Amino acid sequence: MRFYLYLILFILGINAGYSAEKKAPQAKHEKAVLKIDSASAVDIRHFDQTSLNTYRKKPEFQYKETTTDISWWTRFWRWFWNWLDSLFRLKPAKGLPTFWDIFWRIVKICLLALGVVALVFFIFKAQGINILGIFRKKATSAAIPYSEFFEDINAINFDEEIEGAIGKGNYRFAVRLLYLKCLKHLSNAGLIDWQIDKTNSAYIGELKNQQQQDAFRMLTLQFEYVWYGEFLIDQQAFKTIDSSFRDFNKQVA
Amino acid sequence: MEEGIFEQRTDLSKLNAAVNQIKAVLGTIIVGQQDSIDLLIAGILADGHVLIEGVPGVAKTLTAKLIAKAIDAQYSRIQFTPDLMPSDVLGTSVFNPKTIDFEFKHGPIFGNIILIDEINRAPAKTQSALFEVMEERQVTIDGQNYKMEEPFIVLATQNPVEQEGTYRLPEAQLDRFLFKIEIKYPSLEEEIRIVTQQHQHKTADQLAEVKPILSKEDIISLRNQVRSFHVEPKILEFVAKVIHETRNNKSLYLGGSPRASLAVVNAAKALAALKGRDFVTPDDVVWIAPAVLRHRIMLTPDKEMEGVSPDDIIKQIIQKIEVPR
Repeated sequence: MRFYLYLILFILGINAGYSAEKKAPQAKHEKAVLKIDSASAVDIRHFDQTSLNTYRKKPEFQYKETTTDISWWTRFWRWFWNWLDSLFRLKPAKGLPTFWDIFWRIVKICLLALGVVALVFFIFKAQGINILGIFRKKATSAAIPYSEFFEDINAINFDEEIEGAIGKGNYRFAVRLLYLKCLKHLSNAGLIDWQIDKTNSAYIGELKNQQQQDAFRMLTLQFEYVWYGEFLIDQQAFKTIDSSFRDFNKQVA
Repeated sequence: MEEGIFEQRTDLSKLNAAVNQIKAVLGTIIVGQQDSIDLLIAGILADGHVLIEGVPGVAKTLTAKLIAKAIDAQYSRIQFTPDLMPSDVLGTSVFNPKTIDFEFKHGPIFGNIILIDEINRAPAKTQSALFEVMEERQVTIDGQNYKMEEPFIVLATQNPVEQEGTYRLPEAQLDRFLFKIEIKYPSLEEEIRIVTQQHQHKTADQLAEVKPILSKEDIISLRNQVRSFHVEPKILEFVAKVIHETRNNKSLYLGGSPRASLAVVNAAKALAALKGRDFVTPDDVVWIAPAVLRHRIMLTPDKEMEGVSPDDIIKQIIQKIEVPR
């Protein structure tokens, strides 16, 4: 404790000494004596009038200001900046600002700021830019530049569509619908988790029951041959495929 | 069952037999690595070059040599070193005092199956010598074109770029490889099998036991067959969407080129052939895409620092796109 006391006194002592050293010496003021020269005569000199007239005629010495017409745009901006200046200036024309002076000015400034924000927002909105996105924590992902169509198996009336395809003799499309219907059944039964990015083999792997897995693998193979392989099928072949799909759907239900 | 309904339109019996034979031969020496072997065979069928990456001692060179031995074709090996010159690879014109003329001495690149061992030990100058020959299958020296004989396959091995004394391959060269196969360490069970197999093996040179299975003509014929496989238009669109997305992904500094789109389609056809089909399914595309794209895309520096791998990004990209069905 004593050490700290000595240390503080030491620092203060050094500081005081340093301050004393820095003080400038007091300068001694001497009285100034003004001597008047009254003996010699004053010779007054004048400008040469001719030379002055010559100079006045020269354009370099013409200091007349030319007045130009102010455009309405300049006048508008002059008015705008004056108005803005009056808005932010707290000192009234006479006396000190009162509480209400300050209050109304704050209200005016807030209204002006809101107006500016609304204007910016509408401009960005008109341009199709989501300005609110910049305040969000996570940036929105970049849009894929191509049109993407996600087919929802829950929104298709399969029986109607399959009947239509068979009626047109489009068995290839009918097999596709049979497969999608089968996926819907499996999804509704909670046996698979239907996702757009999953491949057929992923769904096969999700089936826990070995018998169901084998049967679904066979159906998948048939679908792949017809849909991806574009193997031609006739009515007889379609009937065989259709019955195998029906059997599987009954098994799942 | 499908054979009862669908009449086979392509005879894949020869291809299937050859693939099974190659797999059987490789399986006697190489333990595990089934995916790598499938990719190697698919690479040969798709008329592509293959880059095999792995830490030292995971049988990269052995696998490549076994594949080369399984094909009855002219094989040459080039060991890439830091002082290797382009002329050491391609060849050079030498003055013959007897004929008083320059004669072109063919380099080791002239062959059918070229094994380039430790490709990333040579600097960019030497790598550039491979650009023309890998893409155009020809070499231009002194204004003279020298065509490569078909089939022309480059099988290259490399250590990971983090290792001492290695260079990163130029993007233009990486794009010329159909696949980059990453060979990982074996599992414990596989390692036990490797040690046991090696211990029980009596012969000194296992490679000497491997006999050629396919001829050059077979390779050319199988490639033509694979090239004619059917791909549904929606699958082509799916491939294009995947590659297009690599160019717009925020995690990627460099996306896939149009050559990458073609490579995915050709590789998917070859994979379909390995599975006994003459048409491509989305499963083929999804399975093959990482091997085709992982060396063609470049991550942004922040993603690299986060430890994200190209395979992770490829997986994310595929998950964003609807599987054609």
